[in-house]
Amino acid sequence: MEFAAEEGKSFSSDSHTLLLPALSIGNVGQLAIDLLISSLRATKVGYLDEPSVLPCVGNDAFAPVPQGDLSLSLEAYESPMHGLALIQQRSPIIKGMMVSFARNMAEFIHSIGKKHVLVLSSLDSGRRKQIDASSDLQIYYVSSVSDDGSNPDCENLGWKKLDEYDSSQRRWKYLDSLAGGVSPADEELLTDEEELTESGYYASMPFSALFSCLKAQGLKVTCLLCYCSEGDNISDSFQLAHAACKFVGLNPEKFHGNEGGWMIPFSWKSVYGPPPDMSLF
Amino acid sequence: MDDVLTETPPPSRFFDDDLDNFAIASPPLPSPFLLLNPNPKPNLLIVAISPLSRSILHHLPSKTLFGSLFLPEIALSGNPLVPSANDKSFNLYSAGNQNTCLASVQYNVSPERSRAVAKCLIGGVKPDQVVIFDCIKSQNYRGRIEVDETLAFKLETKQQRLDKGNLSVSGVDYLPSGSVMDGLGAVILTESQMKGIKGTLVATWPENGGIEVLKMVFKNFGFDVGRIEGGVSKVTSRADLDLYI
Repeated sequence: MEFAAEEGKSFSSDSHTLLLPALSIGNVGQLAIDLLISSLRATKVGYLDEPSVLPCVGNDAFAPVPQGDLSLSLEAYESPMHGLALIQQRSPIIKGMMVSFARNMAEFIHSIGKKHVLVLSSLDSGRRKQIDASSDLQIYYVSSVSDDGSNPDCENLGWKKLDEYDSSQRRWKYLDSLAGGVSPADEELLTDEEELTESGYYASMPFSALFSCLKAQGLKVTCLLCYCSEGDNISDSFQLAHAACKFVGLNPEKFHGNEGGWMIPFSWKSVYGPPPDMSLF
Repeated sequence: MDDVLTETPPPSRFFDDDLDNFAIASPPLPSPFLLLNPNPKPNLLIVAISPLSRSILHHLPSKTLFGSLFLPEIALSGNPLVPSANDKSFNLYSAGNQNTCLASVQYNVSPERSRAVAKCLIGGVKPDQVVIFDCIKSQNYRGRIEVDETLAFKLETKQQRLDKGNLSVSGVDYLPSGSVMDGLGAVILTESQMKGIKGTLVATWPENGGIEVLKMVFKNFGFDVGRIEGGVSKVTSRADLDLYI
């Protein structure tokens, strides 16, 4: 993974926590990162070039009046006053290269000296086993702090550990082997039947690859997850971004002293395309 | 779940394989390679990806074939000995008084292979400036887009935006925020940005629209396009989008 810094820019040692989206249903992690970059008024540090990420380019996604500042597939931002660095990913991964991407990303994050990574992702509501009145608002997590994935700090915030995380399950162990760069022995190779288990399914998701690879680099990593369905996922992104702020001790109402509040990215005005042609009616 | 009307999912959606850590990757392919004779050192590289830009390039006078970029998986069978506008090739021509390299991309480069092709091209030709002509894809454009309307936008690298010199694409608005370009044109611009090269991506809609903009850009870079005929279509270069109420 190559990194090209913007002129005169470099990562600050004050930005000890890095936020990163994992590709997921509804693009919720990516939307949450967009919202955080915009609201924190984070500045671009540079661009990342990764072979496994499909290319895309666009105009500035955040400026109120875009002046043609180029946006690329993978970009790094920073808000030293909030102690945060952020990486935004705007395009998919080439099929079959998710673990390779996660490994390269973890190596990069380790190389720039970040100690704690927050991975933001969503989960498919169709996979949820239990639904109750508060299900839509519940945040789930997986943490590297303990072997079972639990973290008292997250529990104190009212979040639930993802039950389907089981580090002893074959798919999770297989993923940990891949993350460590170890080729699993033949008898450890996966079978299709394992995919049918819930734990096996969650181990196949991009946030799991990032979790395993970041752990393998010795980084502290916390995945924040929320269930959603495909559709207008703006509200889900608010929920996830708000959870990230709670975790790092930020109050969205006071992002900038006595001023704050969420700042909608300019590019969101057209995120779901134009409204329907009213001449039809 | 696939979209019920078409296999291609809407832009915000993923196929299951897109989100599967254990999906099987395609077998690796041999790297693309450039054959150049002689090795150029152009100031300007013009890459024609859109059909209309390739057609204009083909009709430009006084150009000399000096190289080709090969993708091993693209069969050359059926190509004539003399380059034509319709063969499956990625030919490079030298032209113009300003030491220009013209590249006509006449085969489809998959998104997965586009990065390798871009690095091969930029690394081999080593231009000081790049101009790419590509088409807007409807699924990547977030504004209202009509098939009978002509649009033209541009994206520029930081080096290009800082350079206010004569050799730039003027009279074309920036692509509206929220819309994106992908594929080979996007990754060539990405490579230019990463390497600090002046670069511009000119994106037009529909595939065969925007001839006046394209001719204007070619003319601005010193090419004689006066004899190139084409439908005169009114070009709209607008950044206003219909917004959700």
